[in-house]
Amino acid sequence: MAKTYVLTEEGRKYLEKGLPETNLVNALERPIPINELRSKVENFSIALLWAKKNGWVRLEKGILFPVKKPEKSEVLESLEKISSGHMISEEMLSVLKKRRLIQPKKETLEKKAEKLAGREITNLTPELIKTGLWKKTKLKAYNIHAVGEKIHPGKRHPYSQFLCQVRRKLVEMGFKEMPGHLIESEFWNFDALYQAQDHPSRDWTQTYSLKIPNSGSLPARKIVSQVKATHESGWKTGSTGWGYKWDPRKAAKLMPRAHTTACSARQLASGVEIPGKYFAISRCFRPDVIDATHGVEFNQTEGIVIDPSLTFKNLLGLLEQFAVEIAGAEDIRFYPDYYPFTEPSCQLSAKHPKLGWMEFAGAGIFRPELTLPLGIKEPVIAWGLGIDRLAMFKLEIRDIRNLFTSSIGMLRKQKILW
Amino acid sequence: MPTIEVNQKDLCSLIGRTLSLSQLKEAVLFAKAEIESADGDILKLDSKDTNRPDLWSAEGIAREISGRMKRTGIPEYKTRKSDVKVIVDPKLRNIRPLTVCAVVKNLNITSQVLSQMIQLQEKVSLTFGRNRKEVAIGVYDLHKITPPIRFTTTTPDGIKFIPLEFTKEMTPRQILEQHPKGREFSHLLDGMHEYPIFIDNADEVLSMPPIINSDYTGKVTEDTTDLFIECSGFNPKFLIHALNVIVAALADRGGQLETVDIQLPGGRKLITPDLRPKKTKANLDFINRISGLSLTISQLKKLLEQARYSVVKTRGKEIELLYPAYRQDIMHMADVAEDVIISYGYNKIKPEQPKLATIGRQNEIETFSEVCAQLMIGLGCQEVISYILTSKNSLFGSMLLPESDVAEIENYVSKNWNVFRNWLIPGLLNFLSKNKNQEYPQKIFEIGDVVILDRKQETRTRDVRKLACALTHTQTGYEDISSMLDAFFSNLGISCMLARKNHPSFIPGRCAKILVKGTELGIIGEIHPQVLNNRNLERPVVCFELDLEKIFSYIHRNK
Repeated sequence: MAKTYVLTEEGRKYLEKGLPETNLVNALERPIPINELRSKVENFSIALLWAKKNGWVRLEKGILFPVKKPEKSEVLESLEKISSGHMISEEMLSVLKKRRLIQPKKETLEKKAEKLAGREITNLTPELIKTGLWKKTKLKAYNIHAVGEKIHPGKRHPYSQFLCQVRRKLVEMGFKEMPGHLIESEFWNFDALYQAQDHPSRDWTQTYSLKIPNSGSLPARKIVSQVKATHESGWKTGSTGWGYKWDPRKAAKLMPRAHTTACSARQLASGVEIPGKYFAISRCFRPDVIDATHGVEFNQTEGIVIDPSLTFKNLLGLLEQFAVEIAGAEDIRFYPDYYPFTEPSCQLSAKHPKLGWMEFAGAGIFRPELTLPLGIKEPVIAWGLGIDRLAMFKLEIRDIRNLFTSSIGMLRKQKILW
Repeated sequence: MPTIEVNQKDLCSLIGRTLSLSQLKEAVLFAKAEIESADGDILKLDSKDTNRPDLWSAEGIAREISGRMKRTGIPEYKTRKSDVKVIVDPKLRNIRPLTVCAVVKNLNITSQVLSQMIQLQEKVSLTFGRNRKEVAIGVYDLHKITPPIRFTTTTPDGIKFIPLEFTKEMTPRQILEQHPKGREFSHLLDGMHEYPIFIDNADEVLSMPPIINSDYTGKVTEDTTDLFIECSGFNPKFLIHALNVIVAALADRGGQLETVDIQLPGGRKLITPDLRPKKTKANLDFINRISGLSLTISQLKKLLEQARYSVVKTRGKEIELLYPAYRQDIMHMADVAEDVIISYGYNKIKPEQPKLATIGRQNEIETFSEVCAQLMIGLGCQEVISYILTSKNSLFGSMLLPESDVAEIENYVSKNWNVFRNWLIPGLLNFLSKNKNQEYPQKIFEIGDVVILDRKQETRTRDVRKLACALTHTQTGYEDISSMLDAFFSNLGISCMLARKNHPSFIPGRCAKILVKGTELGIIGEIHPQVLNNRNLERPVVCFELDLEKIFSYIHRNK
């Protein structure tokens, strides 16, 4: 079946206003500089192109000379014929198509839709909806069990979802986040926390040390000399001190942060609000052999609370609050515990409705040997949460290495935490 | 945390009361321990205090429990003078210069006593003695020794003796090479031309510390009644403490303690063990303020005596105290306060939530990171988390980059994780290489910290928060990632510019630096096929990496 054609918008315009090349020739009574003509004739470049091609004009040194005037235009006639529904020659069809003055006639929406009337159809189309003809069709029932191609939405990593939740909880409880450093000096990681330089807990098997860069600088001299005096003889803290010669070079050595308590020490030294509540969630590094309970790296959540009124009772109260708010505990139990930098120290076990008992938090009151040299006179409660274990439970992960899983399949399957 | 095994019956007999398992579960809290499991009579205990070796045996645990139950006050340890002398050779100065010793007589060594003694000796030298480096402990049958004992040196091929559990004589060198303990601990003698040795007046070898005892003198059985004990190492503080812990436990078993004269180089002399009590103080106001309890002075005294202190004198609110010599952990009144609270019972105190009005806030960079993560999710990407530690090959060689300095760990566990990453894209490529058989397309991003060397900083390094994104599919191209980047920046309301860049990890001509107002804050491009080959990746990968801190501070400045 031969195609029928209709005029394009441009075609209709030319039929109404004349072809641009004809208009150009009509305007060219005498030779005129091309620049003057440009503004007088619509679609000038098209006009010039076709007028030259037809041999109606001649261009010399920027001046356009009239050559001859056409009597009739075959193009215009063809446009008229198309417009009135007549056929034209193949040759002219291709000229008009090339000039984008005609296009194949499309079926009207109604006609298209009418064909479907009374039939059972699969696709509900815009035409059917607009014309209302859908009323005359029957929409086929689908297999509702059919599922299309699998979709993997973009998601946050389950572990970050969990850490964001913990962060939000702590902010709700009035804690401010502390900044931290992945690489610390031994001073902030140990000395400022009153861990003796020759103490077994500073053995190289317990923590990493750095080869590059090897050594950093120490903080303000006042703090350094107070820490030194406390280690050596107790300074003004009421302590006996460790009784050894403190070495500033050892303190300046750099190491990957081994615990978040380093952040707390820095925060205390740089000044705190009173009352004050601070927290940090940070990546820590220890030379553990990697297995189901020890990853290459781990996150710690720790913080401090400062106020002149704080006692051990408040420490228990704080731990209880964490157990309820963060772990969803239904029962709790306290155990005496040991941390090198707190005294008294306490561990909390929380009973989760599903998980049962788990060691969930540890806390203590910072030793005066820690707080006084950093310029803090008020009692400071220091606390830490075993969030990796809680994360494993919430995310239903058995092997700690899967917290940092490198399987996209596992991440795609993991459900959203909320 | 040391894990120790005790026999329930033995423990109860040391306490002097028969306690059920559930009563014991409660009671061991006084000794900062927790019962992990019970298998018949065998209890596995977790000792929480890594600073109290005196609590790492049945004797030590029983001491704390019986004190609380009976208010017994300070345990007394009497010593007599023995006729044993130890002479320390000055040649040991740079090898293993010091020893402290004791004699214990009239012991009834049952299998329980023996197993507790061995366990305590092991735990103390492992945890407290840094696996024999700082403290090595030897226990010998006194009857087989002819004093005086010399602590001296031998050359690797010098004195021969039969090491424990062996039947033939060996030289020190042979022991280090062939005996299991020799192989395990030989690193402690690395680089030494002479080795430490204990030898008696009849030239009988006692031991070669910190490696192995001799099979003759150094073998203690249930028939042994009198012991010679030595701790060798470097720091008198650690050695004296370890010795006190061991002999106190044996005294609790009915052993009679005797002192040993140690003649040190330069005419100095040491008499050990010294179990005279040490002095400290408690102040009622201080204890009440720290604990939150409202104790009276007599209540406080009772709690102290239960914790095995003894009260010397009370003056108003100030109490002068004595505490046993097996403890070295008391430095401040806060330590005494904890003992008081443990006596009182942690679970008898009613918790009080601190009522403090504070305003919570998270770090701004965290908030910004969350916003950026939201955008990346919206763009259809899955977040991944990699380790911050990685290998040099992952950062440089496999990325076709020349090696340069990055933060590097000295005592690494594995070369796969011995440097800190300084950019994120290598980690994303590693991730993709582990997921080649998973469905494509794979669109991933990571937000995380990298470590940059910076001499101006106190730690000579700076952490930088970064965002990286990688896409891979059979037909992924540069425009897939540039449209992503465009969407990212336009949704942050920032206009960024791209300028051609040459980077060895990317295909030449398909890489650009990302600029905002002239500041370079990232890189975008298509990964070089050689980099893909290096990781066995089989599909094209396009990616970008951005410095979120620079973007954040730009937004902040233009607010």
